[in-house]
Amino acid sequence: MSYSGTNSKPKILIVDDEDALRFGVKKLLEIEGYEVSTAANGTEGIALGTNEDYDLAIIDLKMPDIDGITVLKSIREKQPNTVCFIATAYASYDSAVQATKIGSHGYIPKPFSAEELLHHLKLGLEKRYLILESQKLKSDRENRLLELSFERSRLNTIINSIDDGVLVVNRDEQVVYFNSAALKYLNLHEIFLGESIKDILPVKIREIIGVHFFQSENRSYSEEVELLPEKKLFVLATSTKIYQHDGTLAGVVLVLKNISEFKRVEFIKSQFVSMVAHELKAPLAATIGFINLMTQKDIQLSEEQKYDFLSRSNSRLASLLSMVNDLLDISRIEMQTVVRELKPIFLKEVIWDVLHLFDIEIKNKNIQLSFNEEEVNPIIKGDLNEITRLFTNIISNSIKYNKQSGKILISIVELQHFTIIRIEDTGIGMKSNEKEKLFQDFFRAKNEYTKNIHGTGLGLAIVKRIVDSYNGTIDVETEYGSGTKFIIKLPLMKSEELSVYKNESEIAFEKMIGPNK
Amino acid sequence: MAKIIIIDDDIDILEASSLVLKAKGFEVLTAQNPDDGFKLVMENNPDLIILDVIMIEPDDGFFLAQKLRKNGFAKPILMYSSVSKSTGLKFGVGELVPVNDFVEKPISPELLIEKVQKFLNV
Repeated sequence: MSYSGTNSKPKILIVDDEDALRFGVKKLLEIEGYEVSTAANGTEGIALGTNEDYDLAIIDLKMPDIDGITVLKSIREKQPNTVCFIATAYASYDSAVQATKIGSHGYIPKPFSAEELLHHLKLGLEKRYLILESQKLKSDRENRLLELSFERSRLNTIINSIDDGVLVVNRDEQVVYFNSAALKYLNLHEIFLGESIKDILPVKIREIIGVHFFQSENRSYSEEVELLPEKKLFVLATSTKIYQHDGTLAGVVLVLKNISEFKRVEFIKSQFVSMVAHELKAPLAATIGFINLMTQKDIQLSEEQKYDFLSRSNSRLASLLSMVNDLLDISRIEMQTVVRELKPIFLKEVIWDVLHLFDIEIKNKNIQLSFNEEEVNPIIKGDLNEITRLFTNIISNSIKYNKQSGKILISIVELQHFTIIRIEDTGIGMKSNEKEKLFQDFFRAKNEYTKNIHGTGLGLAIVKRIVDSYNGTIDVETEYGSGTKFIIKLPLMKSEELSVYKNESEIAFEKMIGPNK
Repeated sequence: MAKIIIIDDDIDILEASSLVLKAKGFEVLTAQNPDDGFKLVMENNPDLIILDVIMIEPDDGFFLAQKLRKNGFAKPILMYSSVSKSTGLKFGVGELVPVNDFVEKPISPELLIEKVQKFLNV
């Protein structure tokens, strides 16, 4: 049997100045399975008894130094759960009463038989057991209360910290709980508990809560609500039934989730989709228009007209194809599914390669080309396809929008950790409102100069995405009617990184010396 | 014969539609942007306008229709666009979009002629 809460034997302290009794009782109790400590006088008894939580103590009333009552008092003070007995040969009613008053469990008159002692101790142990048990229950209860109050304040803190608004109403549609986010979203300074929602909540929100009091069978109901106009505040309001134990409706909890950012993104996305749809449909509509025209029996067309319409259809379809390709590029860049092969790229080599690509166009337009290479050879870390695409799009614009016999000036320099590439043309330039929209998807400047120039409106949008993805910048200087200059800034490859690629770059460098113009 | 003005920034569409309508004997004038279109309408007072929605700006057609109505143009306007449902703008015949009909591009020559004849009571 365990009384001290562990599996140890019951511990008992015997305080008595009579040596024979101490030893005799000790021996007896050890045989009975007790762990026995003994003290030969009151001082020793206090020292032991106050220091340890004994299950039981038998204290002799009369001792030469300190009397048993004092010892009992001291032990009770420090160890209130120890069950104490007073033992004495001079049994008297008065001392028994006194001892009981200050907390002695019982009184064992001397001399006692082994049976008498064991009987007393057995009762004492039962008492000790009850004391410990009730002690445990009491502390459990206290702990639980403490926990509960902790839990409540913690829950409050948590609910108040979350960014979702929480508001609870009872069956009478009165507010019984809310958090600070709910105040914020509902644009209220204060809600008084017990206040009717009719007086404070917007109609739409009231309807979402009210669903549960009228028709809805569902546990939960959600709706998107615009709480502030012009997409400033959009919430997803979800109301959920709260049931009582007996299954009847106790109230409704309303959760308001801020989805404004999500709605903004959704709007931009749907705008983009409609722009894409328009841009893709326009060449299709034109081509279908031509085909319809040519298959119409009652419309007579000359051979030249037919040829013209066919070749125009062809070029519209070609532009449709390149638009689809551009869109795929954009989506690859945005979804970051581009498999990039990052390695050292010699920018001058890339620019020369791109210029060669446009040899025919440059010759046809009689464009004068000047590439001021200076004394630098900037290397960046990048994907060759992407960097080539970047310069292809810009240089193709500076040819396309250039004047007959115009100029293209390209310069490349290094500045600290960056390389700066300037590509300048003497083309038609841009108006300032056009410049602002330059990098937008599908933006194409529409003015008297651009009537007959075709494009997808995505070239510079792609350029911008590529430059951004390499942590670079791109700026434009332009004057309507006289030219445009693009300034591209890209981070140079770090020299320590470059050494890793040394062998490769040596090969590339040799390759690069070749195509000098 | 009735006079029709088509306003659309897509020159290929303009040309194809013009040919279809001219083959039916209509007199057709064209403009490629809202400003030219407005001028052309004011100068020629056509019997019908065929108007594209998205030109330089995505809502050019709407504004031009409103401007024409404000300036007293009372004849039918047939509006068409390649995008209607997904632009977020509520498209339809009404006060905001003071046109007589709204169709999606591309329009077959048959439908174009049918619509035009309906409005002109031919």
